[in-house]
Amino acid sequence: MSLLRYESQVRPPIVDGNKDYHQVTEDICRPVETKPSKLWWVGFIISLGLLGFGFVSVTMEVIYGTGQWNLGKTIGWGWDITNFVWWVGIGHAGTLISAILLLFRQGWRTGVNRAAEAMTIFAVMCAGQFPIWHMGRVWNGFFVLPYPNTRGPLWVNFNSPLLWDVFAISTYFTVSLLFWYSGLLPDMATLRDRAKEKWRKAFYGVAAFGWTGSTKHWQRHEALSLVLAGLSTPLVLSVHTIVSFDFATSVIPGWHTTIFPPYFVAGAVFSGFAMVQTLLLITRKVLALEDYITIEHIEVMNKVIVLTGSIVGIAYLTELFMAWYSAVPGEQYAFFENRLNLNSPYGWSYWLMMGCNVLSPQIFWFRKMRRNLLVTFFMSILVNIGMWFERFVIIVTSLYRDYLPSSWSTYYTPTIWEIGFYLGTFGLFFTCYFLFSKYFPVIAIAEIKHILKKNGDNYKSQMDKVENESIEKFADDELHHGDHH
Amino acid sequence: MSSIRENFAPTKKYNTLAFALMAVGIISIIALYISTHGGTGNEEEKKLQDARFWASLMQNSVFFLLIVNAAMFFICATTLAWGGWQLSFRRVTEAVSACVPVLGVIAAAILLSIAFGSNHTIYHWTDAEHVKHDAILDAKKGFLNKGFYTTVTLLTVILWSVLGWKMRQMSRKLDNEPLKTMEEKKKYIWNNTVWAAVYIVVFSLTIMSSLPWLWLMSIDAHWYSTMYSWYTFASSFVAGVALMTLFVVYLKNNGYLQYTNNEHLHDLGKFMFAFSIFWTYLWFSQFMLIWYANIPEETVYFKPRVEGAYSGIFWIMFLINFIAPLLILMSRDAKRNYTTITFMAVLIIFGHWLDFYQMVFPSISKNPPLMIADFGVALGFVGLILFLVGRTLSKYPLVPKNHPFIKESLIHHT
Repeated sequence: MSLLRYESQVRPPIVDGNKDYHQVTEDICRPVETKPSKLWWVGFIISLGLLGFGFVSVTMEVIYGTGQWNLGKTIGWGWDITNFVWWVGIGHAGTLISAILLLFRQGWRTGVNRAAEAMTIFAVMCAGQFPIWHMGRVWNGFFVLPYPNTRGPLWVNFNSPLLWDVFAISTYFTVSLLFWYSGLLPDMATLRDRAKEKWRKAFYGVAAFGWTGSTKHWQRHEALSLVLAGLSTPLVLSVHTIVSFDFATSVIPGWHTTIFPPYFVAGAVFSGFAMVQTLLLITRKVLALEDYITIEHIEVMNKVIVLTGSIVGIAYLTELFMAWYSAVPGEQYAFFENRLNLNSPYGWSYWLMMGCNVLSPQIFWFRKMRRNLLVTFFMSILVNIGMWFERFVIIVTSLYRDYLPSSWSTYYTPTIWEIGFYLGTFGLFFTCYFLFSKYFPVIAIAEIKHILKKNGDNYKSQMDKVENESIEKFADDELHHGDHH
Repeated sequence: MSSIRENFAPTKKYNTLAFALMAVGIISIIALYISTHGGTGNEEEKKLQDARFWASLMQNSVFFLLIVNAAMFFICATTLAWGGWQLSFRRVTEAVSACVPVLGVIAAAILLSIAFGSNHTIYHWTDAEHVKHDAILDAKKGFLNKGFYTTVTLLTVILWSVLGWKMRQMSRKLDNEPLKTMEEKKKYIWNNTVWAAVYIVVFSLTIMSSLPWLWLMSIDAHWYSTMYSWYTFASSFVAGVALMTLFVVYLKNNGYLQYTNNEHLHDLGKFMFAFSIFWTYLWFSQFMLIWYANIPEETVYFKPRVEGAYSGIFWIMFLINFIAPLLILMSRDAKRNYTTITFMAVLIIFGHWLDFYQMVFPSISKNPPLMIADFGVALGFVGLILFLVGRTLSKYPLVPKNHPFIKESLIHHT
């Protein structure tokens, strides 16, 4: 006997509910094939409302210019770039889960990867809005693309990290989209084959790109997944690295520090996982998918949150220490007066960031907390608030007092249109997510089937015999391929 | 039913090589001492020569301590992640990590001798008279002082040794006391996870923050970089993986580790590849940000390294540590080939040894960059590691056959 699938019984199953292949298909297709609930409609309409508010806010900005925002003499970047970095950061978990965890052979990723990847794509779409509308004259936006043009010396500045962002984010978006969609193909074909209505068959027929499920298709699909995972892995690191360069290449105290690239990446993964938790805790409940997104998934993701939160914590403390150690007065003022000092105008935001990002995730050292859904939900919101404030602290507290006290900004508060723009991206994000959860399978059906016989509760319980046999016997059976049978 | 060839017995050749290399090391230290002392010249030159000698001991002891300690990081990281694939060669990683106490004592002795010695060329901040007239160093006194340096150094070596011992103990205990019930197995994995977490916390607070600042960054006492410690970690970890891989290949070639196969080697190769890229990522980020901002207080570090006597080493190190792994380890076949993997492992260890060389030397000695005796000292440490690892390997069974995840490692496919 040679086992293709075996894992230790010590590991808990990650597909519950005694599923077989057919049941998996039924469970995951159900939300797509039935009418949406009232709750769905309520959420969807609220999202559309927010999107509308965002539309108005952006229109105001386009007509009257960035003067509609409360940017000051020294704060040229305010809420808009804070929101940009925040959304890009959130867009990191999906590709980490689908690419890096694929390379690390983490079977649990199959339960959450589809939704996380979709979230990544929507988050990057939201992020992209901010630099675009921040241009002011958005109709000249195509100037950022480098191509031979008739504008004479008006050529993009290749030395500018802002231009690197254009490349980094557009590449990331493209590859993430390809990865996500190529994973969807087999499931789209499943929906097509199950469809009873004509329009449904046509829609999923087009969406499935003619997938037949032949061995050749699967073989190419697997090869493509691996290649895209290989391409995406450096992208997970490069995007936020380049976002960090926007700040770190400058000479502004609080921005120019060499730890920024890996620390931004860790922070991005941190906030991305928090957002995945927020979304999936709701999704699994509303769509009744608790057998696929189990408490084990929640716990593992909480472990990632405590790990990345602590990495971010070490980075914060390193920055703080180096500001002191550098003996540079400017650095020390930026950190100890403008940030650490609770009585300074923005001191509160620094401590809010510290509390949400470094202190609060530490409760996930305790297993009980990691497996508590309410705590997890609350924490995921807290982390997202904290990570928003991290970017706010970096941007605003480093800018509001520059080298000349005469040009120090007055206290910066956003206008209604800045807030509206931000809420509008929530509208965009959730509108997309609601549509996704209605028309697409939120869990990768094919991938769950792939791990079912190894990680399903019913299949695992059949492996007790293997678990208890001696290693010599096991090795004989497995490594000599049935010599004794 | 096949039985497991459980215990490693170092051959005569193995031990002879280990002792020969240690002898080379001792002779090199003596030769280095003689060539750097007793020369003519003024007091200043004599001090520089003396520092040259100590710097070599420092670079080697710190480098080799950090790379054997990387083995324990590997163990704890895989334990925390509930990895199963690495168990077939887990005892090899344990044996490498078992060098930490001995190398830790050697490194601590050398570092403390430098800190408390009368020659302040390496650590300017140990010279109280000098610090008085140097406003920047004076401002750093709260961190850069002998008391704190000693405390952190000793505490680190003790904690690494004790926690590493605990992790190995838990693994060895299973050999005679197999786990009977599922409850026991779960409890065992749980306990391992807890101790691994404790180790990782200590590891993060030492090598990923305070330790490289004190040991290495304070050689350029005015200079600072927040990336420095993470960079040091990346360098030592990739070299550590290469070291473990070498022992795995050696044992395989001699008929041991029958449950370890190309699949495991492939994964070790992936680690070497991935962390070479990761090292480059941190290298580039640190370098590029300092170059781009062009602040004199920061560029002062790279000035003697990129230009001048050390530029050759700087760029060769980059070639070995990035270009070579990128091109050679990219392919699947290369990672499953014993010869390529061995060659690359040796190259990576050498490349990161050079990395540590250029971290330590440029601010101490203007020239000449490298001496033959420096290599000799390194070989001495290699001999010591060979001896220690061989001894540990021969004491315990090579396969932790009662570990709950061992069967997963047997049927591992990449």
